[in-house]
Amino acid sequence: MPDKKASLTGMRRREELTAWLFISPIVLGILIFQFYPTLFSFYISFNQWNLLSPPKWIGLNNYVELFTIDRFFKNTMINTATYALATVFAGLALGLIFAVLLNQDIRGKYLYRAIYFVPVIAPTVAVALLWQVLYDPNFGVFNGLLRMVGIHGPNWLGNTTWAMRSIIFEAIWAGLGFTILIFLAGLQGISQEYYEAAEIDGANALQKFFFITMPLLSPTTFFLLVTGVIGSFQVFDIPFVMTGGGPANSTQMVVMYLYNNAFVIQKMGLAAAVAFIVFVVIIILTFLNFRISKRWVFYE
Amino acid sequence: MSKKWSRRDFLKTSALFSTGALLAACAPAATTQPPAAATEAPKATVPPAGKKKIVFSTYVWSNLEASMTEILNGWVAATPNVEYEGQFVPQTIDYWAKVQTQVAGGTPPDCGIAECQRFVSYAKNGTIMDISNYIMSTKFPVDKEFPGAIACYRWAKGDFNSGAEGGNYYGLPSDFQAYIFAYNKKMFDDAGVSYPTDDWTWDDMLAAAKKITKADQNKWGIMALQGGTLYRGNFVWSSGGSFYTPDYTKSMLADPKTIEAFKWQWDLIYTHKVAPPPGSTGQQDPFLSGQVAMTVGGIWGLTDMRSIKDFGWDVAIFPKHPQTGKRTCSMEADGWWIYKDAKDPDTAWNLLNYLANPAGERLFVKANDMVPSTFPEVAQEWYATKPPDHMSKILDNINQDSAKVAYTYFESGTVMNAFGPIIDKAFADGTDITAAMQDADKVMTEELTKAWALFKS
Repeated sequence: MPDKKASLTGMRRREELTAWLFISPIVLGILIFQFYPTLFSFYISFNQWNLLSPPKWIGLNNYVELFTIDRFFKNTMINTATYALATVFAGLALGLIFAVLLNQDIRGKYLYRAIYFVPVIAPTVAVALLWQVLYDPNFGVFNGLLRMVGIHGPNWLGNTTWAMRSIIFEAIWAGLGFTILIFLAGLQGISQEYYEAAEIDGANALQKFFFITMPLLSPTTFFLLVTGVIGSFQVFDIPFVMTGGGPANSTQMVVMYLYNNAFVIQKMGLAAAVAFIVFVVIIILTFLNFRISKRWVFYE
Repeated sequence: MSKKWSRRDFLKTSALFSTGALLAACAPAATTQPPAAATEAPKATVPPAGKKKIVFSTYVWSNLEASMTEILNGWVAATPNVEYEGQFVPQTIDYWAKVQTQVAGGTPPDCGIAECQRFVSYAKNGTIMDISNYIMSTKFPVDKEFPGAIACYRWAKGDFNSGAEGGNYYGLPSDFQAYIFAYNKKMFDDAGVSYPTDDWTWDDMLAAAKKITKADQNKWGIMALQGGTLYRGNFVWSSGGSFYTPDYTKSMLADPKTIEAFKWQWDLIYTHKVAPPPGSTGQQDPFLSGQVAMTVGGIWGLTDMRSIKDFGWDVAIFPKHPQTGKRTCSMEADGWWIYKDAKDPDTAWNLLNYLANPAGERLFVKANDMVPSTFPEVAQEWYATKPPDHMSKILDNINQDSAKVAYTYFESGTVMNAFGPIIDKAFADGTDITAAMQDADKVMTEELTKAWALFKS
């Protein structure tokens, strides 16, 4: 008589093997295309490597260089932080305002919602190119409108003062639809009973907004804040297309700096070090967000 | 009796198939046959036994892929037992990232397009092959080329820059591209200004620009040079300045003659107000759109200028510096080189020889009409074409006074990336250019020191 226990173990092994075989494409994909490159990139961050000759181990020199003698890293981090602060907070504020408006029972609200969402589904590069034309100092719409009221418009993308503002403005516009959509979903999840109870207690519209809507939307706001901060620290496409980081590096973001080091001047080691510094910065900011969230995020 | 497939069997097979597909996707791509020219019959995908196959790589612009394919097919037709795989990449900065990734991955192309500003780094790192022996053994007519063109691909070990007369050959130039001075005849006529002559100086250029400029109508006398275009050398050399000391150890950006050249351009925008501020001319090329009467740019710009329908235009010899009398024309040569790890260097050389010979360059010039040849005899034919009416003035300038562009030294890209933004800011915002040059000077010297340390490591 066969050993029942051994037979079961054999069956269990076969099942496990089947399971592993079934998930192996995705596991292999993650190991080959994510895990290995990440580890290799970490190793490269301790090397001097121009791709043309073998990597040379230089220890922490790349990290030390970035924090001490590198002329642009600090500036690109400041640019990125400025961009992140402006786009995330202005985006959240505007998104909330528009979401509240679009949550009202108004005629054509679905059409308005669709219109606001269009920039999200449009390719980012195409949108950035379109805005480049809008910002054209001679033939662009903005300066055309300003000329109509007697104002000589600025050189939006060609001046170090205006270029960052112009990119931030475009990025807020491009991301607004997504923020509105998520806020709308959050708003529609708030039970009407709270508002009815507040009305019975005599609360006005503002009181309802600040004491019911805002607290109950806080998990949604927190989600948008965390993903917004992470996304804005990784921004590349919009400034790359619109200004290429110029003029005079005034719109150079940290991921663009990484790209330029890696693929323009072939400093792969330095670029890998930038990547890991950004990674750590994002981890710290996300951790802080979670820590602070305990004070202002309320779950039902 | 056939066994019925259970759900478990189906899942196992699916998983196995998916894993196989993933692993297959990770395998190197099979080589593909390049697109055949329209006039030729399609070729077999698998080369017949005994044929030598090489991988040829280049970036392409406008119709270059079609014309290059035609030329390469001509080489295949003229050469027994050869095949090629063409890697044509749209002209972006990513082309060199691709090549360098191929080199790092141990799968470089056999041969391909060369750039003189990358040359020293590639030669020094042993990425490209020393082809001196091939040149000697086949008696390739390097002595018949413009000396400046072939100098772009000669390098002696230990040299910080290319161009050593006794240096070895690591590539062959495919073209010799000048910087040209073009003007809008209609804007000159409208302002009642005579066209530029051979005697013109920078002062004459400025005086004409002042008469032509109508800023309120967005009409400007001249386009100021800045950034990379100014670093090529024309104006700096003409004023007697330089970018670095002859031994490449110190910057000369703060040299009064160098500052003079940069300030002259800056003054066009901010002092004389005869040139549009940077970025203010929008998406269109301001010369092509008739906003600017005079421009200095690469000879490749003639392709677009030839499509101008709204006004007459021409080229003239570079106006000379009023004191030095110099009008140095900066030149650069793209070319072809063989990668050191080429699997079949003999066949790769055979192709280079075909492409870079006078006959090959004639084909290249014909197929791609904005590439003046590196051989004076072929170049003369091209400089005799019209428009513009005075095309030969460009050749006159080259023959009188020309020099290889200033940024062909080791790590020049990194050095320029470091000091460039300081000068760019002065041009973008109108801040003090002299102070910016002095700041940039310090940065450049520091970067040259770093580049030397890397060079010696």
